[in-house]
Amino acid sequence: MAATPGDLDIDVLTGELWICLCRGSWYSISGTDSADRRATGRQKSTATHGSYHRWVWLLALLACMMSGCHSRPYPNRPITIICPWAAGGGTDRLARFLADAVQRELGVPCVVANRTGGAGAIGHQAGASARPDGYTLTLITFELCTMHHMGIAPLTYQDFDCLMQWNADPAAIIVRNDARWRDLNEMLQEAREKPGQIKMSGTARGGAWDLARAGLLLANGQSVDDIVWVPTLGAAPALVELVGGHVDAVCCSIPEAASVRDQVRVLAVMADQRLECEPDVPTCRELGIAWTAVGWRGLAAPRGLPPQVKQTLMSVCRRISQSQEFTEFMGTNGFQIAIREGEEFVRFLAEQDRIWKQVIEKTGFRPETKGS
Amino acid sequence: MWHELARPEIWVPWLLGMAFGILVGSTPGLTATMAVAILLPVTFHLPAMAGLAVILGVSFTAIFAGDIPATLLRIPGTPASAAATLDAYELQRQGHGAPVLLTNLFCSAIGGLVGVGLLALLAPQLARWALRFSSFEYFWLGVFGLSLSAVLTPGQAWKGMAAAALGVLASTVGWDEVAAVERYTWGRTELFGGLGFIPAMIGLFGLAEVFRSASHRLARRPDARLEIRSASSRALRTVLAHPRLILQSSLLGTLIGALPGAGADVAAWVSYGLAKRLSRRAQQFGQGCWEGVVAPTSANNAAVAGAWIPALVFGIPGDAVTAIVVGAMLMYNIRPGPNLFHENIHQLHLLLAIAFLTQLFLIPAGMIGILGFRLFIRLPHSLVMSAVVVFCVVGAYAIEQKWFHVMVMFGFGLLGLWFDRHQVPVAPFILGMILQPILELNLRQGLIKSDGRFQAAWERPESLVLMILTLAMILGPAMWHVVRRIVAGIARPRTSESSP
Repeated sequence: MAATPGDLDIDVLTGELWICLCRGSWYSISGTDSADRRATGRQKSTATHGSYHRWVWLLALLACMMSGCHSRPYPNRPITIICPWAAGGGTDRLARFLADAVQRELGVPCVVANRTGGAGAIGHQAGASARPDGYTLTLITFELCTMHHMGIAPLTYQDFDCLMQWNADPAAIIVRNDARWRDLNEMLQEAREKPGQIKMSGTARGGAWDLARAGLLLANGQSVDDIVWVPTLGAAPALVELVGGHVDAVCCSIPEAASVRDQVRVLAVMADQRLECEPDVPTCRELGIAWTAVGWRGLAAPRGLPPQVKQTLMSVCRRISQSQEFTEFMGTNGFQIAIREGEEFVRFLAEQDRIWKQVIEKTGFRPETKGS
Repeated sequence: MWHELARPEIWVPWLLGMAFGILVGSTPGLTATMAVAILLPVTFHLPAMAGLAVILGVSFTAIFAGDIPATLLRIPGTPASAAATLDAYELQRQGHGAPVLLTNLFCSAIGGLVGVGLLALLAPQLARWALRFSSFEYFWLGVFGLSLSAVLTPGQAWKGMAAAALGVLASTVGWDEVAAVERYTWGRTELFGGLGFIPAMIGLFGLAEVFRSASHRLARRPDARLEIRSASSRALRTVLAHPRLILQSSLLGTLIGALPGAGADVAAWVSYGLAKRLSRRAQQFGQGCWEGVVAPTSANNAAVAGAWIPALVFGIPGDAVTAIVVGAMLMYNIRPGPNLFHENIHQLHLLLAIAFLTQLFLIPAGMIGILGFRLFIRLPHSLVMSAVVVFCVVGAYAIEQKWFHVMVMFGFGLLGLWFDRHQVPVAPFILGMILQPILELNLRQGLIKSDGRFQAAWERPESLVLMILTLAMILGPAMWHVVRRIVAGIARPRTSESSP
């Protein structure tokens, strides 16, 4: 194989580049300085020599890189946070805030990857099947506790090392300002008397808020079909339908309705206690219905995280959750803060898993009972 | 007010945003929505108005810049430019590349101005009108759009309709949000999210074009000459020759853009279809007709402005970009909604001024974009085509960072080649993919809301009017033909000179 002068020049150039990259090791290997080598390199135009040098450099460079990788502790390269929902939404905003905070805490770049679709299944699946090295994290959401009951994907919270829960936004029943019901009980009473008359919307069929509606009806001793669910591609289009007068009510979280708040009334929130931002809105419990439903978000890593890495991440999460910026961020977005760490988070998820299993079974969403 | 806009913390990010918009818009696969989503975290560090200026600048320039590769390479830079590939590309092949691009630019700016004008003058009224649209109205809009498939491209109409049907079918793959079941996924998780409209579009237009140029021994090079003066005078003459069409397309674009359920891509297709229906040169459409350039490119920029109408008036986004904007405005402590038009009148005026000036800045920014892209085109053809393949892969991957989408893109590239071999038009396929969600979801939603009664599809006055318009558009030419023959039949005995 004959070498052309062009090849050699490229050799010299790449050699220079590598020298710049790892100066120290170059001197130790060749024992000459680069000006010297450049002079001789032009004259010795044998291909074997050139490629020999190239291999030496390449190995040296690889050695440098690998030793660098192994000697430096976690984290030493960019971290990815998978967001299972689309850019611009609430979950995405939280993911981007967390990425920014993690980057500042750990000093390595942290980026958000939106892996959307399949009612959240795609992002969660990607997050669960990533390598458990702490470089791929997932912003897990409510749907993780329902998708395996729904038959969407065989994923549960047990496929993740759950680090920290950040928030829990209760579902709210929202109607137009001029709606005919004064409170939730009036609405449910009408639904009982004229089943199927009231049309409610907020998510896809079987989505978080559809299940919240179904659970509410079940908890009130009613049939899930008393209020008809109109599926939409999210809370925003559902609110358009509500404000335009095409559906009667929307079930979604308070921050999702923030931009149309002046034009709607909140009948009740499915929370344990009243929200600070909506002190006049009663909880379902106050109205005599023992039912809560929250859409939660948390940070998790694939199962099998090394203990040290987990510890690092836990302490980072803890610092973020205690920071002023976090409180401010959650406040401006209207997200309800709900911090649960490690084991506590897992217990919460197990409880959620159990609750939603019952609701899904009674609504007939399970693929076995669907009969199709 | 104007001196506030002259502050560097506003205009510097604004112009940078416009430059970024040109870059992203002209790269196939990177959409305006993506550009805004990328820049959003940056804008939180800026004053509120600067942040909104960046978003406005990016979205308008990106939608224009999408027309540049559509014209020169037959690859739409953003989905809103897919309709521009038809006539703009044909004219470019006939050697009118530079005038077409400048026509695109001028029409985009005019369309944007009309849209912003309507936003400033009639926003509350238009937003109320847009909210009257519900499931069945969108359904009829979808039917109208789909009926265009028969007229979109010259040649056999049945091939266009078959392509549209295939597009609808391809778009049904994935998780069905209405019935909570999976369709055509074969249990594979990647298919849950569907095949992906953007990878399909990149494959069918971009990669197929590379395959095509590789299979033809003598590859044509896009016309790389650019005499700004003669080209702009040609473009200006084109614009001046079609004032009614530009106004019609811009108005239609703004109205469709203002609908929360339809965006710039639908606006471009519908105004193209309407232009063809109403044109005296209908048979020239698709073979290099200036009207086919003017209509979609005016409409898509007008639609970007239109999308702000419900966003500002009701806090209800008109498209994916304004969906991000509405969220961002809350972060800036600007509450969109009726109060913006009463209490925050100063902020509103500032916003409108920025939107207005963006249309004027679009012309120099667009010129720079065109010049830059032409430098790229001037490279050896093999290099350009290799770069296009790289862009196609990057674009398909960048949407959701999934290799699956790259595979889909290659698959659709091969499909596009097959379509080309059998003279099946690509445009109706894309139209079918765009309209399937609008058609199907709205029909099913409407039927759920009406407890399964089909009569509800024409019970409300809005849906009745739309249905009549849609049916008139579909059946109009045939009926007109029949009526004319009858009239001619009656008229013949008396006079022999019936109108041709």
